[in-house]
Amino acid sequence: MKHRQDFIVGLTVIATVAALIAGVLWLQQRDPAHRRQRVVAQFSDVGNARVGNAAMIRGVKSGRIDRIELADDGAVLVRLSLDRGTELPRDPVVLLGESSLFGEWQATITERAAVPRDDAVQRQLTGAREPGLIPGATLPDIAKLTVVAGQIAGDVANVAERVEVAFDDNAARELRGSIRNFAILAQTLAKTVTDHSGDLDTLSSHLQDAVNSLNRTARKTEQIAGRVDSSMTSGDVRRMMTDFAAAAAELRVATATIASMTQRLAGSQSRLDNFLTSGDSVLMKINAGQGTLGRLVNDSSLYVDSDSLVTSLHGLVQEIRANPKRFFSMRLF
Amino acid sequence: MGAVAFVETVGRATRARIERVGDAAAFVGDTLRAVRDARTWLPHASEQARRLGVDSMPIGIFIALFTGIVLALLASYSFTGAVPLYFVGTLVEKTITMELAPVLTGLALAGRVGANIAAELGTMKVTEQIDALETLAYDPFAFLVVPRVLAGLVMFPVVVAAAMITGLAAGWGASALLLDLSTSEFLKGVRLFFDDFDVRYGLVKSASFGVAVTLIGCRRGLLARGGAQGVGAAATSAVVFSAIAILILDALWAVVWLLGHTP
Repeated sequence: MKHRQDFIVGLTVIATVAALIAGVLWLQQRDPAHRRQRVVAQFSDVGNARVGNAAMIRGVKSGRIDRIELADDGAVLVRLSLDRGTELPRDPVVLLGESSLFGEWQATITERAAVPRDDAVQRQLTGAREPGLIPGATLPDIAKLTVVAGQIAGDVANVAERVEVAFDDNAARELRGSIRNFAILAQTLAKTVTDHSGDLDTLSSHLQDAVNSLNRTARKTEQIAGRVDSSMTSGDVRRMMTDFAAAAAELRVATATIASMTQRLAGSQSRLDNFLTSGDSVLMKINAGQGTLGRLVNDSSLYVDSDSLVTSLHGLVQEIRANPKRFFSMRLF
Repeated sequence: MGAVAFVETVGRATRARIERVGDAAAFVGDTLRAVRDARTWLPHASEQARRLGVDSMPIGIFIALFTGIVLALLASYSFTGAVPLYFVGTLVEKTITMELAPVLTGLALAGRVGANIAAELGTMKVTEQIDALETLAYDPFAFLVVPRVLAGLVMFPVVVAAAMITGLAAGWGASALLLDLSTSEFLKGVRLFFDDFDVRYGLVKSASFGVAVTLIGCRRGLLARGGAQGVGAAATSAVVFSAIAILILDALWAVVWLLGHTP
């Protein structure tokens, strides 16, 4: 009887304690056999994240936060246990943030490229970290966002209040008048558009033509650009540039020659000027009948004398031809 | 003269209260001293454990079963439209493990175990069986009190643990069957803020309840006077004082342990 009582009590205690321990381990998702993979992320602050919060990869729950502990360097290490076979994203980072409005947090494992472009978050991710640790950052919680939203709401309320103050009966009347004027303006515009719709059609046609021309021009430009490009590629332009350089050198030589000739021409011109001046002076003297040449030019008696002299010489030549011995005698000794 | 009599009355009442406290402290001291006499109490420990613990399992499970169901429905009723329904799991887990399972089970066992002990020992007292034990050189504390107190210390947490498991399972079943809350959602709520501290807190608290209920039952029984009426009064006072002690200890544990604890 006594042994039976002992057995019943022992069985009850063992069964209850075993069930309780199993239940606790199951609820805590513990892994006594260490069959889950573990990763460690480093944070500067973990916000309201707690042990047991979910670890998500691409929106799928893949594990939980196993442990949160302070590191020696002032950082916080978060140990995550992930389901067996879970593949981490390339270049992974861990983001801690709220998963709902009710204080739940979660750890999201994602690629660094998918991290929001937020300076604070990027700063946390680029902080110093030990090798083997995944960088982590804490996203602003909803409370902070709510504070900001509250400030924005306050600003909007202030603006609304100012508008309310500014928008009195007078402003309303002016606004009504403005709207009426705007309606009239709209009617006028509509009438104008109706009246000039033909012109507008023509204009649009011209515009279309212009656009077509521009298109053609653009195509040609593109072709030219293509040719230039191909020329650039084939070396023609380089050859042309070489030729241009040679021609430029020759031009420089020719220019120097021309400059020299110009200088010499300038000298010749001055001498020619002097010569002409002297000639002019001579001619003036001649015209004035001064000097021998002037008298010769202006006095016809010289011509008459000369003519008679030529006539006499002609008669003399004929006489010499007829009687040479009369005028010439040849003696050797 | 009247004033002197009044002062004397106040002094007498005060002394009586202090004497009660002193007697209670002496009772506890005698019990602790009797623990050393293991050869006397050890053979009776398993019997008391069965009577106080194993035989009390059904009532603890029964209470937890319905508490879990009602708690789930109550949480669903309260959360409608404002809080996600999976928080039903959170509320059921926290409330059952930390408060309702220990306290309700403790109160139920105060009625069952406390009254039983007080009536049994009271009967022994009024029938002078305890005097006979002392005549036979048995220490009544080692023979009667210590096995019961140790059984209460050990078996109350066992009963409460069973109540915790039952209450949680009942809440789960009620959520799945009556609230259209999926198992995964319920478990999400349970795991969301689950901490093994919750269980430790409930078990330690229930152990203190077990010690208090058995000590009060033993003391009220050993103080029984007269005949059957005295035994009945002892049983009644044991239940009343046990219930008060449970509620005071409940508040004390909350102040001492919960206030300084961060999850």
